[in-house]
Amino acid sequence: MAAVAYADGARTTPPSREKRRRQRLPLILIAPSIILLTALVAFPLVFSLRNSFCFWNLQMSPKPLGFIGLGNYRAAIEQSDFVEALRHTLTIAVVGTAIEVALGLAIAHLLAVRLVGMNFCRALLIMPTTIAPIVTGFLFRYMYDAQGGLIPWLIRTAHLPLPAQGLLGNEHTALWAVLAADIWQWTPFCAIVLFAGLLSVPDEIVEAARIDGAGGWTILRRITIPMIRKPMAFVAALRLMQIFNLFDLVLVLTRGGPGSASRTLSYNLYQQGLVDFNIGLSSASTWLIVIIVNVLIALFAVFAFKDIV
Amino acid sequence: MADHSGTVTRRTAMKAGLATALAAAPLARPAIAASKKVVRVLVVADPFYYALREVTGQFEAETGITVELENLAYDALQARLVSSSIARKPDADVVTVDQMWTGQYLDSNWIMPLDAMMKGDKDLDLADFIPEVLYSLNTWRGHFATLPIASYGQGVMYRKDAFAAQKLTMPDPASFTWDAYLDLIKKLDGATVGGKKLFGTVVAGSQPQPIVHMYTQLAASMGVHWFKEFPEGKWDFTPTINTPENVAALTMYEQLYKLSPPEAINFNWFEAGMRFAHGDIGMFYWWTPYFYLTQRDGYMTGKPSPVGDQIGFATLPHDPKHPQVISAGGWSLGIPSYAPNQDNAWQFIKWATSAKGQKAMALVDKFGHQFSDFGRASLYDDADLQKLYPYLPLQLALLKQSNGKIVRPPAPVYTTLEGIYGLNLNRVLAGNSSPSVALSATSDLFDNVLKGNYLLPYQLPSYDDTLDATKKLIASMA
Amino acid sequence: MSRGIVLKLWLYAALLLLMVVFIGPILWFFLLAIRPPETAFQMPPVLFFRPEWNAFYETFVNPGTNARQLFNSLIVAGGAVLLNLPFSIPAAYAISRFTFRGRKNLMLWYLGLLMAPPVAFLIPYFLVATAVGLTGTYLAMVLVLQTIMVPFSVWLLKSFFDDIPADLEASAALDGARLHEIWWHITLPLATPGLIVTAMFAFVFAWNNAAFPLVLSDQDTATLPIGTLGYFGSAGITWNNIGAAAVAAMLPPMLIFLVMGRYVVRGLTFGSIKG
Repeated sequence: MAAVAYADGARTTPPSREKRRRQRLPLILIAPSIILLTALVAFPLVFSLRNSFCFWNLQMSPKPLGFIGLGNYRAAIEQSDFVEALRHTLTIAVVGTAIEVALGLAIAHLLAVRLVGMNFCRALLIMPTTIAPIVTGFLFRYMYDAQGGLIPWLIRTAHLPLPAQGLLGNEHTALWAVLAADIWQWTPFCAIVLFAGLLSVPDEIVEAARIDGAGGWTILRRITIPMIRKPMAFVAALRLMQIFNLFDLVLVLTRGGPGSASRTLSYNLYQQGLVDFNIGLSSASTWLIVIIVNVLIALFAVFAFKDIV
Repeated sequence: MADHSGTVTRRTAMKAGLATALAAAPLARPAIAASKKVVRVLVVADPFYYALREVTGQFEAETGITVELENLAYDALQARLVSSSIARKPDADVVTVDQMWTGQYLDSNWIMPLDAMMKGDKDLDLADFIPEVLYSLNTWRGHFATLPIASYGQGVMYRKDAFAAQKLTMPDPASFTWDAYLDLIKKLDGATVGGKKLFGTVVAGSQPQPIVHMYTQLAASMGVHWFKEFPEGKWDFTPTINTPENVAALTMYEQLYKLSPPEAINFNWFEAGMRFAHGDIGMFYWWTPYFYLTQRDGYMTGKPSPVGDQIGFATLPHDPKHPQVISAGGWSLGIPSYAPNQDNAWQFIKWATSAKGQKAMALVDKFGHQFSDFGRASLYDDADLQKLYPYLPLQLALLKQSNGKIVRPPAPVYTTLEGIYGLNLNRVLAGNSSPSVALSATSDLFDNVLKGNYLLPYQLPSYDDTLDATKKLIASMA
Repeated sequence: MSRGIVLKLWLYAALLLLMVVFIGPILWFFLLAIRPPETAFQMPPVLFFRPEWNAFYETFVNPGTNARQLFNSLIVAGGAVLLNLPFSIPAAYAISRFTFRGRKNLMLWYLGLLMAPPVAFLIPYFLVATAVGLTGTYLAMVLVLQTIMVPFSVWLLKSFFDDIPADLEASAALDGARLHEIWWHITLPLATPGLIVTAMFAFVFAWNNAAFPLVLSDQDTATLPIGTLGYFGSAGITWNNIGAAAVAAMLPPMLIFLVMGRYVVRGLTFGSIKG
């Protein structure tokens, strides 16, 4: 291993050589992961970039059939509800992340209370996160069943309003019903990570603030959140990205319907690539997504990660 | 029933496979015992799979060929087939091919034409297959690409007790028009039968495939074609989607949805079919496997449906202004071009599509009798089978009127078009588009896609694909 | 009643609600696997019935399609974790301990990889895998899983290394310890809970991934999420089989998390040492 190779010579070499090595060490440690990831990612990206300018539909031909300029990009934006899917994707990514982090933070505070059986509950709580999203999709499809599903039954029993078409069949509820499954799956993860963060907030500081007359809200805003901003930013970034790529739940639960009420970019991409096998079109969509992702990361870099990384 | 020696060999083989995988580097691909005669079969998880898996032991006993059967969902199957075909590394010797994929697979040389194998084979008895089925499902440009293991038409299922309660009678086939159908459903809607308030009908509303499967049946029956000229004549893929006939058909489908449970907007094949089996639907039309599937309370559960004995079967309604066209669908078996065990594969296909194999599947009684999707005409006259599946004569009549190449034309970019069609049909049900707006949008998008894929104008050679051509092809194989 | 007791009761009620909401559905799914099929969609729910283990028998014994898939999932997820750590640990350590130009950009680069849509990569991956003859192998899946696992692991591990006081390493160095000794005897033991947590989450990510095996696996190497899809037929869903396969798919990660649960909290709470 690179670290060992360096360390063996560490004491015997003159300081100047050691300094050089010391500068090279991080590079040696990081290089393998960069090489691996570049190898894994560069090809698909270059492949997509090249083919995004070509006409290539596997249903028509096993090989690309020629250069068509920006035709695929135009088609991707015009044909497949791109704007609507983009709006849905951004909405659920932002709203979902906000709910999961906020709910997670609230649950984290509950987990920090000393109660009988708390250790056991904490261990159990992570369970939803350990389920494959496809399986979560089946679980919620089962529970959302308009006639015999547990969730509509509970809603009806509580005399709350329920759309006639069922939660997955109504254009105003379908997207949120899909998101609810994701929230169920990932809130525990956020809660556990934030709980771990809370443990690092020293009790004395909180106590001192309380003696000074600070209310719960002030403590949360002024002390707790600043002290756990690292795990919070991490968890928020991770969730934002994963929801941005959400497609398995859409596939199993609604297939983008009713109408296009629950279409997401990733679902469209799945449709173009793995159902229609239109390599050119899906490559163009991929690059549109890559560009959007880069903008989002730039925003993250400017705002959320200013002093964290 | 289950052949024990067969089961044991399969299990031993699996153990051997596991042992090899464990002994070798854990990341290596597990080796298969090479000395044994094996056929690997990859099928879609449709009802026939549950029957097939119970009878493979008979095939193994007869031929000494071990069957390794795997089932997959529709999407997963398509992804696997396309990827393994491009890789030219098929992971099965026999695969199920949807009729929509047949042309693409054969043109790309992903599956091999079966002509040569069929020609030399005396026990095939090709003449016994229903020609309409072979035409709809299995032929492409004058070649046999596949043979049918499960052949579906579409027909009507209705509740006899509901008809009696509302003092209705099923009209004779000649006067059973779509208007009469809608009229009956209106009269059934809201009736209380057996303590349950009925919905007049149920539709499949989920996009893309289920709604297209159900809607195109209605549309084709009312005279709608997708393209100006296909599959017969000189191919011209100019869309004929935005026509008065199609607007009328979609307006009727919208009405049918309003007489269905509202959640039907998200129903796929089985949710629509099983809703009928659960007893609060008056009448609906759907793929013929639901003739037996609706006899059960759930899918492959073996529990009888609460209304099973009250289900009547009828022919599909027609439109007096147009010749009747019935949808044909189902699943067929083909051989990947680079399959390692092609001879075993042919043995298996021949057996599974033979009258004997199909009858064995029909006799499986694991969850009740759950297979009557025969491609072979002789089985529809079989007395044993008629006892188990009393609707067989009707089903044969439906298949004889079928033309799968008109209802859902196997055009080169069918799945893309189906996605567009399904979305816009679903929009009408969701109430955010009117039939004429949705169809005009569909037509424009079809135009874009077809032009974008250089299918409009069509520059490749056409093939005048008629039933007669298929009949000639069948005769030439004898 | 004193205010404290009332508060306690409220907290217990909240905890109970939490468990019902997040664990209840899992139990509901387990019941689906063992309940008589005709009760699956009965409302109000049928809670008392004679359990039937038939679905487990069918999915894992005869015909037992899913038994092999369970095994494949274990190999793929386990292999992916083993491959992941040697790449992530040094990288995370270096980013945490050294300051160098482009460090921040590097972290964002990893982040960007996490955000790339896996669906977009399926076809290119599968074409490469074809070109080098890796389709249908465990190795192909284990490799491509790294695109999501390495970035995640680097981010998580870096935060653990951040929380190990560099002073400890520095003082050991002053005592004359070599770097690899420091690493083995000080850093690694302190980082172990973090490594375990990272490995656990990496395992879960790999275990749950259904996209890559969809195109990269074959009959021999298909994983369990693909297997559960098989019961989602176009003509019907065999709900209790899905339930059985899904319960089995949940069990390994759950067992890991139950057995190693204490590490999750310990591993993620390194900050408390500093406090």
